[in-house]
Amino acid sequence: MTHLELENLASDYLESELVEVQRLQVEAHLRDCAGCREVMADLRRVMDLCRSAEELEPAPWLVPKILRATVGERKPSFRERWSAFFRPTAQPRLAYAVAMAIFSFSIIVNAAGLDLRKVTLADLNPRHWFYQANRTGHLLYARAEKFYYDLRVVYEIESRFRQLRSQPSEPQPEAPRQEPAPGGSTDRGAPTPTQLASVGGLVTVAASSLTVVTTTASPRRISR
Amino acid sequence: MEPDAELVKRCLKGDEGAWAALLQTHTRKIYNLCYRFTGRTAESEDLTQEVFIKVFQTLKTYDAAQGTFVTWVNRVARNHLVDHYRRTKKDRVTSSLEDALGGLEERPSPTAAPAAHVESRERKELLQRGLERLSPDLREAVVLRDLQDLDYAEIAQVLGVPEGTVKSRINRGRLELARVLKRMEQVKGPARAAGGEP
Repeated sequence: MTHLELENLASDYLESELVEVQRLQVEAHLRDCAGCREVMADLRRVMDLCRSAEELEPAPWLVPKILRATVGERKPSFRERWSAFFRPTAQPRLAYAVAMAIFSFSIIVNAAGLDLRKVTLADLNPRHWFYQANRTGHLLYARAEKFYYDLRVVYEIESRFRQLRSQPSEPQPEAPRQEPAPGGSTDRGAPTPTQLASVGGLVTVAASSLTVVTTTASPRRISR
Repeated sequence: MEPDAELVKRCLKGDEGAWAALLQTHTRKIYNLCYRFTGRTAESEDLTQEVFIKVFQTLKTYDAAQGTFVTWVNRVARNHLVDHYRRTKKDRVTSSLEDALGGLEERPSPTAAPAAHVESRERKELLQRGLERLSPDLREAVVLRDLQDLDYAEIAQVLGVPEGTVKSRINRGRLELARVLKRMEQVKGPARAAGGEP
């Protein structure tokens, strides 16, 4: 086999398209000819280079441009127009908006004191809504105020108790000592009868002040 | 029936969606074919558009019994490229400002490894410059076979020559391309060394 004959068969050899006899002839020639081995290696490299070449990506506007050049501005079909019309509704933000609207509506209805199951003609009057909303607002305010004062009284009683516990107990006449119960007692600082009497007085005072606070925070007084 | 043939039928009935689908499927291949012939992005885009306008105008002449739609589109594109080649033969210059701009278009992405990007870009440029130095006959045969991945029968249909001729052109094209690339690398090697590059 000559060098020229080998060159003519080179691609077929690399693509395994030669018959057995030709393949053996090519291989025999390649064993003896360094020049042809180099040619074959270069050819293999070129084929690999071509086949590994990445496809180029055309510009994204090319297809729309060709479409405009061929069929003009494409008119959307009825189905496409229909889906384009409802596309905004298929977004999560619409669900959020609906949820917020329902939430706001329920707050307004609640504040206006409307019972949606028994709506009367008077309920549709905006003056009635305003009156009800004003009343509900004041009731809420009064409840909050009452809660605050109640808390104050409770804290005051608790702090008095703490003070009494921390004060050293008055000297008592010698009394018979009681033996501690078996297993011990956790009541290490038990108040004396005098202290208990004092706390009892405090509770009475607190109860009377609670009554005063309740009366003070009554809705009638506040709404006035 | 192949999907393309079905789309062509729908196109001929006036279905614009089918034409859009055909475009989406084949634009990339034809654009690549044009780029391998011209080596210029803007020119390839114009040529791709012209090819598809021609395809659109002559769509009724497509006969599915004669071959696949891909082969037919490639034949239209090849004929158009040959016409373009003949038309612009006088105007063609080896290195133009557009070439330089074309090189600048491919900027490395900030995330890509710079060395890998440079290497890949050099390989692409080397292949493209090598292809441009082949004669049109050999170039189209190599491009259709090794870059467009068509088989010998399809290439024979596209080029309108017997399969034996196709095989011969592909083989000669590859051998010629190997020689060209080797020469280019030999020229590039000393130039790099002189420029102090590794």
